[in-house]
Amino acid sequence: MAQDIRLALPKGVMLSRTAEFLNGIGLGFEDYTSKTRIYRLRSQTMPSLCAKMLNERDIPVQVAIGNYDFGICTSDWLQELQARYPAGNVVKVCDLEYDTAGIFLACSRDAAFTEDKLRDSDATVRIVTQYPALAESAAYKMRLRKFRIFPLWGSAEAYLPENADLAVISAADERALAALNLRVVRKIAESSACIIAHREGLQTSDFSRILALFSAGFTVSSKSRVKTSAPADVIANDYTPAAAAGNIWLALADGHQQVHTASFLEKAGIRMQGYSKDDMRRRPASSLDGVNIKVIRPQDMPQQVANGNFDLAVTGKDWLLDHLYQFPSSPVMELADLGFGRVRVVAVVGEDVPADSIEGIRELIQRGKLTPLRIASEYVNIADKYLRDRHIARYRVIPTWGATEVYLPEDADMLIENTETGQTLARHRLKIIDTLFESTACLIGNRQSLDDPAKRAKIEKLVKIFRRTAG
Amino acid sequence: MESQRCKGARDLLAEDMERFRQVEDAFRNSCIDWGYREIKTPTLEYIHLFTAAGTLTPAMLSRVYSFLDWDGWGGERVVLRPDGTIPAARLYSENLSGSKIARLYYVTNVFAFEETGRENREKWQCGVELLGDGNPTSEAEIIGLALEVLDTLGLSKASLKLSHAGVLKALIAELKLNSEEKADLLDEILEGNWQALSKVNGNKKIAGAVSTLMNLKGRSSSFLTNLAAMPGLSRSIVRELEAFAGVTGLLDTLGYKYEIDFTSIKGFEYYTGLCFKMRAGNAKVCSGGRYDNLVGLVGGGNVPACGFALYLDELAAQVRPWSRQKAEKTVIVRVDGAGPAAVKDAFKLSAALRSAGLIAELDFRGSQLDARWEISIQEKKPGYTVKDKIKNMQKKAADANEVVNIIGGFGKVG
Repeated sequence: MAQDIRLALPKGVMLSRTAEFLNGIGLGFEDYTSKTRIYRLRSQTMPSLCAKMLNERDIPVQVAIGNYDFGICTSDWLQELQARYPAGNVVKVCDLEYDTAGIFLACSRDAAFTEDKLRDSDATVRIVTQYPALAESAAYKMRLRKFRIFPLWGSAEAYLPENADLAVISAADERALAALNLRVVRKIAESSACIIAHREGLQTSDFSRILALFSAGFTVSSKSRVKTSAPADVIANDYTPAAAAGNIWLALADGHQQVHTASFLEKAGIRMQGYSKDDMRRRPASSLDGVNIKVIRPQDMPQQVANGNFDLAVTGKDWLLDHLYQFPSSPVMELADLGFGRVRVVAVVGEDVPADSIEGIRELIQRGKLTPLRIASEYVNIADKYLRDRHIARYRVIPTWGATEVYLPEDADMLIENTETGQTLARHRLKIIDTLFESTACLIGNRQSLDDPAKRAKIEKLVKIFRRTAG
Repeated sequence: MESQRCKGARDLLAEDMERFRQVEDAFRNSCIDWGYREIKTPTLEYIHLFTAAGTLTPAMLSRVYSFLDWDGWGGERVVLRPDGTIPAARLYSENLSGSKIARLYYVTNVFAFEETGRENREKWQCGVELLGDGNPTSEAEIIGLALEVLDTLGLSKASLKLSHAGVLKALIAELKLNSEEKADLLDEILEGNWQALSKVNGNKKIAGAVSTLMNLKGRSSSFLTNLAAMPGLSRSIVRELEAFAGVTGLLDTLGYKYEIDFTSIKGFEYYTGLCFKMRAGNAKVCSGGRYDNLVGLVGGGNVPACGFALYLDELAAQVRPWSRQKAEKTVIVRVDGAGPAAVKDAFKLSAALRSAGLIAELDFRGSQLDARWEISIQEKKPGYTVKDKIKNMQKKAADANEVVNIIGGFGKVG
């Protein structure tokens, strides 16, 4: 029997147009819809073609390491991987003409940065981005003398101008950037949906049939399927150039944690304007005196508190610990346990693995099984420390951007993952072999801010309110 | 067995280290004789030291080993030193900028990623920096020093190629490019693609000069004087050609043979004047040049400087190892009984042999073989049997002095 051809398909915003493209070339998958709970798919028209749904950012990595023969993703993530690992084992087969965007180096609307000014500047330039490798190579190319890159999970636009000078950011065009109050300094790259392939696979296996179908689709898409990406939900990024000086900065979460955080604030008696589903702003107003608020990703908060951009932040203990494991002497500390958003961070393996504990896994490794152990996790530093501390001789941490449960058992041997009830894990035929810790939302702060007499009273007041509310 | 060693990393075995030390010793001895003083810089540096404009090219920067340190939450990346000269310039600007002239040398490892993993990602360099002297005699001095080291190593047939970054930069300035185009062109050239220069749509006079520079090779300063007299060259290019001729004129006087090849410049963006490289066998074993802006770029003042790096790995591959020479001086002290008295005796005899300039190797298991001399210690008098394995002779001795005398008597020692 011919070996399966493995295809990695994107979840999320790319899904509907990718499904349309696959249907157009006769490779449709019945369950490839946003509502599906089935992540493993098989083509009706080409039974040897199987597919799995992954976060699109993970697809180039998964194709590069050989877990998939082909993948569909936007080429920004491919370019990011190739900028980091030029010798990587992944090649682009062709561009598809949907989800087009540009990757821009942008500054705030009112900033006076130009390429020449940046090149001649001796000051340190702070760059925030989801694309750290592309940002670094642009900085090298522009010959910036001193720069620091802050890798982010998202919401890069929110950092300008108060917390960063530049952002490397994806946007449909300059108009879309202007809507975020940003201005282009340099266009770094173009991006669109694309088909990618594992290099060695292309060199050694016969993929002519599927490649012919892709080629046919490419012709179709070039002629008639030109579409740009649908505008994502834009969160208003207005700012006041002179935000109340002397105020402390508090970071609040966007995304899934927003609703829980908002109701906690309500319970605390803090009135918010611009921090609800119907009215979201990057800089919401509040009834708190002397506090500036900004809305960013909870994953990015500990480092942003550590580097002094924020004095306080509401994030999860999981992300605080991940940060502290990377930077043990960081000045970030937990100031209050807020009680909500309770999850367990657990070590997970497939149901069929003959081990029920990490000791059992270690014994399997000693017997030559599961080596090197592949661990997929969003929590790279937690996973790394967990395995190091348990003397697992040889392991590889595969960083992911969510939906990690889909990786077992084909693409990883173990997960370090969070779970509320364990039901999702059970549905994917996975078992928990260890609980690393329980995580809840917490208020974190910068130790140095607490030592600052100008800030201490404001911080202590807020900590008191949060502690009282959490009970 | 699958190797546990990192891809692109290398173990240096005893014989490798003998070659390595041979190069290092020749280099150190010459440096000391010429008045240079040794320094060492840390393996870790901040990456901004290397991103300062005009230091490393983007292609080189994309291969550095950089990471966030354990306290790197501020986003400041550190890097495993990818080059020896830039840290030396930093060391000078932070510690020695008050001195008029500094002559410094170092032996250091540098790190750069290499894709296949078949080449070393950690390489060793013997570096020399002469800081504070803008006179062409300093380029002549460092070239003379490098040639002396190669000569000591038996590589007197090394070839010397010269180019000039000032001429190249003046030429690019004439092309009236914007700063991005200029930077891109310089990148291409420093990656070895001189054709990029000829593709730029500049004026025809410049195109003619480019073609001459790329295609002609010279062997004396007259070549540069001829180039400077060619029609159509701007004043700034002529000025750089004259500066270049100033150095080559000195090399002519000193009798150093060289070839002028403008396309031989590659890799480093920080050079401002003369650039040179030396080849021995089929390998590039040395490169260097003048870098008058570097100290300023890393935070120091306006300090003229020049220097070179000898590539230790390539040189070590070409020298004859010392093992055979050492075997002549090695004495195996063999102890048959392992009692405390015999052990004490063996230690005492070994110390006496070492004082006499010999290498004394203890053998309690009868397993060492590779030496000319072998001494057996017996409990019975006269106590010592001395064997010369080359001459196949054997003598008895009563004490350590007698042993040393016998070895001295058998042949030349020390």
